[in-house]
Amino acid sequence: MNALEINHLTKKYDSMVAVDDISLTIEQGDFFGFLGPNGAGKTTTIKCITGIGLFQSGSISVFGIDVVKEYREARKKIGLAPQEFNIDIFAKPRDILYYVGGFYGMPRLERLRRIDEVLERFELTAHASKPFQALSGGLKRRVMLARAMIHDPDLLILDEPTAGVDVELRHDLWRYLQELNAAGKTILFTSHYLEEVEMLCKRIAIIDKGKIAAIGSKSDFTEGGKKLEQTYLDITQKGKTL
Amino acid sequence: MKDQVNWIGLYTFVSREVGRVFRVWIQTLGAPWSGALLYILVFGHVVGQRIALIKGVPYIDFVLPGLVMMNLMSAAFMHTSFAVYIMKWTRSIEEILIAPFSYLEMIIGFMVSGVIRAVVVGFGVYVMAIFFTAATVAHVWAMIFYVVSISMIFAFAGMLVALWSKNFEQLSLPSIFIITPLTFLGGVFNSIEMMPRGLQWVVRVNPFFYFVDGLRCSMINVCESNAVVGWVVILGLMFGSGWTVWYLFKTGYKMRE
Repeated sequence: MNALEINHLTKKYDSMVAVDDISLTIEQGDFFGFLGPNGAGKTTTIKCITGIGLFQSGSISVFGIDVVKEYREARKKIGLAPQEFNIDIFAKPRDILYYVGGFYGMPRLERLRRIDEVLERFELTAHASKPFQALSGGLKRRVMLARAMIHDPDLLILDEPTAGVDVELRHDLWRYLQELNAAGKTILFTSHYLEEVEMLCKRIAIIDKGKIAAIGSKSDFTEGGKKLEQTYLDITQKGKTL
Repeated sequence: MKDQVNWIGLYTFVSREVGRVFRVWIQTLGAPWSGALLYILVFGHVVGQRIALIKGVPYIDFVLPGLVMMNLMSAAFMHTSFAVYIMKWTRSIEEILIAPFSYLEMIIGFMVSGVIRAVVVGFGVYVMAIFFTAATVAHVWAMIFYVVSISMIFAFAGMLVALWSKNFEQLSLPSIFIITPLTFLGGVFNSIEMMPRGLQWVVRVNPFFYFVDGLRCSMINVCESNAVVGWVVILGLMFGSGWTVWYLFKTGYKMRE
């Protein structure tokens, strides 16, 4: 089964086309890297998948569930850690997780157990009762990840999750994501650090100026011993194809 | 199961919003209560003693339902307008937008918490008034109807204003230039008969007159408006504003990109 299926998605901001008729499929259990320059349409596509963004044409389904027609069912399947901190900055991590877990319908006892698990996993236990705004940048990023994971989603969408985090967390996060992926979770991952994409992802797509410029397996992008970064630059700057 | 009500989500949503009210209770409850106490003391007790009976009741008894209504409307409006606007501003509204809530559940979450805050504020004003006046309830079911339905109208109005507002200044404009004037011209402090005859029609086309008079009628049995017209106005505004909020949430007006 496909974890994510996007068909002819077009998203405009007034007259500006941000995403231009893109189609892509991510299989269940995939670790999918979604790359592109700033403003290429990565975050806009993610917003359309999760319901933060509206789109003019096309369709998106998550595990076969249409994100518009059956939006409630689709949203249960998705965990999102966005690029920006879209969070109540006065709230404490434990409370944030408690409420968000509740929003996803988790019963109280299950939620409390899961909160402890997630806090521990992201080494947030000691910071669980501090207001979000008092946390360091790295800790804030961990809270965003913990929030995305609280309801144990099948599709995890991580929009630049390692931006601004220290090396220790980055390595820890990589390990964690690999464990999750090995356990069957599907991951959609965006990053400007191409070495981590090359290390983690099985399949990759590059979006440029709102269009899919290239899509394939990691080996397609690293053929002939090339680094992913070189292929990426060839595609986005020189207009080459795979 | 598909399309089942997200009860746990809804309960969590409401308890989070109501929790905020009690966490900053000095601002959300203490401020309106102290304001109401001053109104009761100065207008009702001190000044009221020098005013003749209105419709056969002491001035303080006459003015109390208006004060309850004024605080009720303000609390419901302030709650949802600030909650939605701040969430829009910090983008934490996305937490709600990506969660498995139906659009109806989203607005019910905000509305119910607004109504709870309004009822707590209104009940506090009523309890304070007991020390100064008889604070009676003539028709309990009618009183519940007016309290709940009017709180709902203002909770919805708060959401509409929050969705429309682009900044904090815009957020306060409807309160200053629409709600406050209509409240004062809606018969909170005076009987419609005290208005110049040529201006009484202005009061009768003001929906706030039906809110205040309805509650007054249910509390002290002094009724100046046509109750049926009042019910139509209240139910019309309640369903109209509720539908508009639902539609705006559904279409993502100024919330979804």
